[in-house]
Amino acid sequence: MSMDTMLFWFLSLIVIVPALAVVLLSNPVYSALSLVMTMVGVAAVFATLNAYFLAGVQLIVYTGAVMVLFVMVLMLFDLKHDLQTFSRGKVSGFLKIAGVGVMAGLLVGAISLATKKPSLIVEGSPLANELAATVASGADNTKILAENLFLRNMLGFEILGVLLLVIAVGTVALSRSKGGTHARD
Amino acid sequence: MQEISLLLAVGLNHYLILSAILFTIGLSGVLLRRNLIVVMMSIELMLNAVNISFVAFSKYNYNPEGQVIVFFVMTIAAAEAAVGLAIIVSIFKRFKEVNIRFFEHLKG
Repeated sequence: MSMDTMLFWFLSLIVIVPALAVVLLSNPVYSALSLVMTMVGVAAVFATLNAYFLAGVQLIVYTGAVMVLFVMVLMLFDLKHDLQTFSRGKVSGFLKIAGVGVMAGLLVGAISLATKKPSLIVEGSPLANELAATVASGADNTKILAENLFLRNMLGFEILGVLLLVIAVGTVALSRSKGGTHARD
Repeated sequence: MQEISLLLAVGLNHYLILSAILFTIGLSGVLLRRNLIVVMMSIELMLNAVNISFVAFSKYNYNPEGQVIVFFVMTIAAAEAAVGLAIIVSIFKRFKEVNIRFFEHLKG
């Protein structure tokens, strides 16, 4: 068994077991820590897929920023007693689990049906040659990524900047609001 | 024989099935859990699953567009976490508990 294959199975274990722990553990603090483990595993999966820059961004943004936000909000609350972890009702619970099962079956069925590998890039074009050379050399494709982001997706990038500004203002406004019609004073 | 080659040769399908498993775990978390923060964490799990499938397609199709989309998804996920946690904090300030059943009182 080659190194890459062993790495893949190990990483899928690292990703899936803490993900199950996020859903199954009743203490939300443990869920948050398991989620950190999953995020680190996903970053490693990105690295095995030659997306080194995205792996770094995943580490910084998710485990660095988003998870700190989650853990800080968790510490703000007194959540030692999570009385009712899972939703009530045997019938609705069964329906939900059945729905999840159908979803999983559909996904795996669709993947196994789509065995034909589509190629979105014209063979022999300069872009395809450059990309194939990059992939073959094993170097990271950060340069190609940056060119694609800043030349071909500039509008989306700018819209995201505006969105982040709106989100920052909106979050501050939301956390300072007095709760609408439920305001006590 | 085919099972052995399935174990030994990791390809696009392996990454897609890993992504599907992660997505279904996140979906079950959103449906089954009552704690709002854990629901948000399950949403993050689903977004990560989609990111894995994007990066896998990007590698096996030699197309960098997938990684650009992953950038966008990460930005949206961070923004969504910020807004969702602000809503959760406001729910906690009012009801002293973060249970999903209080979402129906949010109107107004």
